[in-house]
Amino acid sequence: MPMCLMISERLKWLLSVSTTMLLTMLLWGDDAAAAENCQSLRERSAGQQVISIHCGGAPSATVDADGRLWAAFVQDKHVYVTRSDDNGVTYTTPVRVNNEPEDTEYNGENRPKILVAEDGTVLLSWTTKTSPNFTGEIRFTRSTDVGKTFEPPRTMNDDGLMTGHRFDSLFLTPSGKLYLTWIDKRDLDASAARGETYPGAAIYYTVSDDLGETFTPNFRVSHNSCECCRIAMAPHGDDEVAILWRQIYDEHIRDHAIAVLGEQGEVSGLTRATVDDWFIDACPHHGPTMVQAAQPGQYHISWFSDGNLHSGIHYGRHNMATGTTENIIQVDGTPGAGHPYLAHYDNTLYMVWKGFNGMASQLQLMRSQDDGATWSAPQTLFNTEQASDHPLLVTAPHGVFLSWSSEEFGYLFTEISSDEKQ
Amino acid sequence: MKSNRLLSAAVALCVGLLMSTAALADSIQPLGTGTFAELKSGFEGKPFVVSLWSVDCLPCRVELELLGELKKGDPEFPLLLISTDTIEKREEAVYILEEYGLESIPSWMFADAFIERLRFSIDPTWHGELPRSYFYAADHSFKAHSGILTEEKLREFFPQ
Repeated sequence: MPMCLMISERLKWLLSVSTTMLLTMLLWGDDAAAAENCQSLRERSAGQQVISIHCGGAPSATVDADGRLWAAFVQDKHVYVTRSDDNGVTYTTPVRVNNEPEDTEYNGENRPKILVAEDGTVLLSWTTKTSPNFTGEIRFTRSTDVGKTFEPPRTMNDDGLMTGHRFDSLFLTPSGKLYLTWIDKRDLDASAARGETYPGAAIYYTVSDDLGETFTPNFRVSHNSCECCRIAMAPHGDDEVAILWRQIYDEHIRDHAIAVLGEQGEVSGLTRATVDDWFIDACPHHGPTMVQAAQPGQYHISWFSDGNLHSGIHYGRHNMATGTTENIIQVDGTPGAGHPYLAHYDNTLYMVWKGFNGMASQLQLMRSQDDGATWSAPQTLFNTEQASDHPLLVTAPHGVFLSWSSEEFGYLFTEISSDEKQ
Repeated sequence: MKSNRLLSAAVALCVGLLMSTAALADSIQPLGTGTFAELKSGFEGKPFVVSLWSVDCLPCRVELELLGELKKGDPEFPLLLISTDTIEKREEAVYILEEYGLESIPSWMFADAFIERLRFSIDPTWHGELPRSYFYAADHSFKAHSGILTEEKLREFFPQ
């Protein structure tokens, strides 16, 4: 009874303010409170729907040239974008990106991607599921009015087929070329129609040189990729990108391949990046991470495998000139540990991942000051006995930030490159 | 206003009841951190097979097809079928299970999104790859297998 009274008092009060005020006060007014999470927001919302970065699925983030945080997340079949001008302390009211609801994928390996170009154009991609049978479409949209409104989303796979197009990744080169890559099953379908077998799927991509106004046709990177792992992207020179993905070798081995993609569909340097000998006809749902190393043509990579040669999370430095990955170390071999993410800032290399001790997940961090040759001991930043997303790192002009969503802490955007945390 | 609220509460209740009745048409139960141990003790002194799958796992469909055939031919086959999706995805899971005639056999779905802990409750050494299966002998010593379960593998363990 007291709860009912409380609610009815609150309703009376709520009716006395305008809808805008109501939403502002209830949902966003004090987002600044520390340790905000979805449950606390819902408890305070008096039954109002809470659209918030703390409640949304699988958020991702970027920082624009002015140092402002932009984040995208999925809620109730819509992608939302919110901005924070104070490094994630307070957020603007989320803007709905797609007016028509879509079955937008949101999980560890699939999330909306957001980038902001130097001129302020907000760029977004995501995957929309079109059936429960692994079919999907790669969607893209952008905002040219600083995130106030978004163009109607476009489907970027140009085959018109009801097949798998999923696990999109989006990258903007320093010169402003926008690359969108994904896992595609058009070649699998074509093979099946010919009665041929086709292990896995394929990697495809498209490029825009006008910040998403127009795109090239789709280009194939490789046949026989694994079907269910995110693709890592990093710059290669001014105009190209390097990508790293899980690739099927000898029909049953799921290790990794790396390649350089050009803006006209040129695929070069395609080579095997990891030799883990993971013999598995299964879905690891565990994609790699990659950043450029100090030496041109070299990349820091981190990945997960349970192969005969490497088991657990590993780190290595891949040399595109020799086609080899060197300096390989095991980062964490504990079962349940996974999902590494790398960032490079101010001569320091950062790696975060999720550990697990049987009861709780640990958000782990380690650093290298010598381009990956040696690493600090892992440090536990957070410990939670509730569910959590894969951790991501965002490199901003003013530092490296952890972008991580969990039931307990809500969405966290926390600097990990500041002195006091070292 | 009060009566309106009561009315909508009543409607919500009725809708809720209808929905839960509909949901009972399948035989899916939530798997919490203690469930697997309980299920195991239900097979005391008996061999059984565990098959783990998810709605997002393509090779799992091949395995579900095999298991569907197997259960059709041998309804008593001791199988623990567990989806690692949270039970909120029940509708999607049922849609898939129906394709393989597995919707009416008892099966389980992860009770919450803390998948690391639920995986650990089944096997602390499992990294989460799917499909994953276990062959439990009568003394409950077990063999784990990652990747699609084949008929040969099953027969190896349960020779006819």
